[in-house]
Amino acid sequence: MDEAIDVRTLGVRYNLRLTRKNTVRQAFRGLASRRRSGPTHFWALRDVSFRVPPGESLAVIGPNGAGKSTLLQVLAGILQPDEGAIEVNGRISSLLTLGAGFDAELSGRDNILLAGAFMGIPHGDMMARMPGIIEFADLGQFIDAPIKTYSSGMNARLGFSIATAVEPDVLLLDEVLGTGDATFRAKSQARVVELMKAARAIVLVTHDMSWAREFCNHAILLEGGNVVAAGEPDAVVRVHEERSEVRRAGGQPDRLPPITDTGLEPIAPTRGTAALIR
Amino acid sequence: MTQTNEAIRDAYRPVRPGLFATLRGTAEEIATRRRLILYLVRADLKKRGADTVLGNLWWVIDPLLTMLVYVVLISIVLNVDIDAYPLFIFAAILPWKWFSSSIADAVTCITTRERVIKQVAFPKIVLPISVSVGGIANFLFGLVPLVAMLVFLYPNHLSAWILLLPVIAAVQFVFTAGVAVLASALTVFYRDIGNVATHVLRLWFYLSPALYDAERATKHLEGQPFLVTIYNLNPFVALFGSYRNVIYSGGPPAWDLLTLVLAESLVLIVVAVIIFRRMEPAFAKVI
Repeated sequence: MDEAIDVRTLGVRYNLRLTRKNTVRQAFRGLASRRRSGPTHFWALRDVSFRVPPGESLAVIGPNGAGKSTLLQVLAGILQPDEGAIEVNGRISSLLTLGAGFDAELSGRDNILLAGAFMGIPHGDMMARMPGIIEFADLGQFIDAPIKTYSSGMNARLGFSIATAVEPDVLLLDEVLGTGDATFRAKSQARVVELMKAARAIVLVTHDMSWAREFCNHAILLEGGNVVAAGEPDAVVRVHEERSEVRRAGGQPDRLPPITDTGLEPIAPTRGTAALIR
Repeated sequence: MTQTNEAIRDAYRPVRPGLFATLRGTAEEIATRRRLILYLVRADLKKRGADTVLGNLWWVIDPLLTMLVYVVLISIVLNVDIDAYPLFIFAAILPWKWFSSSIADAVTCITTRERVIKQVAFPKIVLPISVSVGGIANFLFGLVPLVAMLVFLYPNHLSAWILLLPVIAAVQFVFTAGVAVLASALTVFYRDIGNVATHVLRLWFYLSPALYDAERATKHLEGQPFLVTIYNLNPFVALFGSYRNVIYSGGPPAWDLLTLVLAESLVLIVVAVIIFRRMEPAFAKVI
């Protein structure tokens, strides 16, 4: 069966020497002292393997810094895997952050076109969706004003309307549901639920465990860049909550062994069976 | 620590496309994202005119003011006597403004787009390309005062050779795009390039025959053919010379040197694109 998302032994590595904002002087110093410097690489994700079949939705949970957002960035094609392979079938829409491509000097209308062009949506599609976007954002006369005159809430509303205007096959969500005032928040939640129903596959990164339980039929727990638990959302959430409890008490939970790909041949989906697969 | 054996990792190890595939892929990306380039250029033009009283008129006034400064400095203070000196230097200042402002923008074009690079997957090469394309607008606006000067002040310098201006500009465009692509990628890793660029550009301008004739420079280097060759490797010797021929002297461009610059520029842009594409995956991580 063709998976909507197929991720195998994915690894994303940050070069610590480059991620520091470099100056030429530091680079020379780095060259001179290459031998005695500390770790040069940091694996934000390693040996991450999972599959999302069509019609399924996957919740990604885990503590801060576990690699959740990095995972979404790879799925969205923003980061390239340094190891492993990913395959995403279908049109992706990522609600990673809103209003990313905006240009403050341009009008709301121009920004809709600009954002669409950044996302690679054909011009014709974007023109067809324009009225819907404008209507949903509900900015009134402001749609023709430069967006530097917008309040942050208006900005987020426009961003949300653009991001959700395309009907994606694969929807990537990173907790963007808390935008705007109460009215718009209710409206946007309804829209997200609608999109989730229409999408072929969903990956949802969330700290809100009720979302994971309610909308997802599979979950993985990321810790330190590894998948440490996978299975039914209820079971995975329970594992996560137990471990969070230990952390909150000031302790350090035992390291869970990473769940890795066990073979080259496709593995049958494990959803609905064990909570923890070795 | 991790139990995955290397064989499994190796089976899915990403492969880097070859050089030819990289070049072809880049060309396809630029072609499919031409509308994004158009929007970026348009946004840039709008932005520049937005906060000033005179708006986009500055595109016309700016090179004129630069010319005025040099006319005052050189023909009056230093008392250099060249016929129609304002036109003489304007023929070089105009293309130089195009080049230097494009490079100054290219240096920051990726680092200032940090947010969108981290949040949307798109070919980053459109950023320096749109800067280079936007520079053409800069040049076109500057042609207005140039033509006005030729028609009203120096009609005796006007000749049909000026119709070859687009050919010279095309060569300059290839060169500018190459430098822009290279500079934009390198700045992500070495922010110092932004600081250095201003000074390098200024020195480059004075070393190029903009305010003086190339012959004046080569006369100084007489008897040292090696240095003369080095001097002529500067693309702006050929470019300024050719612009000046068609605008000021009423003659053909320096075809031989211009062809050489075109060859240099084509090599440069290929190298720049390959370096850019090699660095591109790291942009979202490093910015």
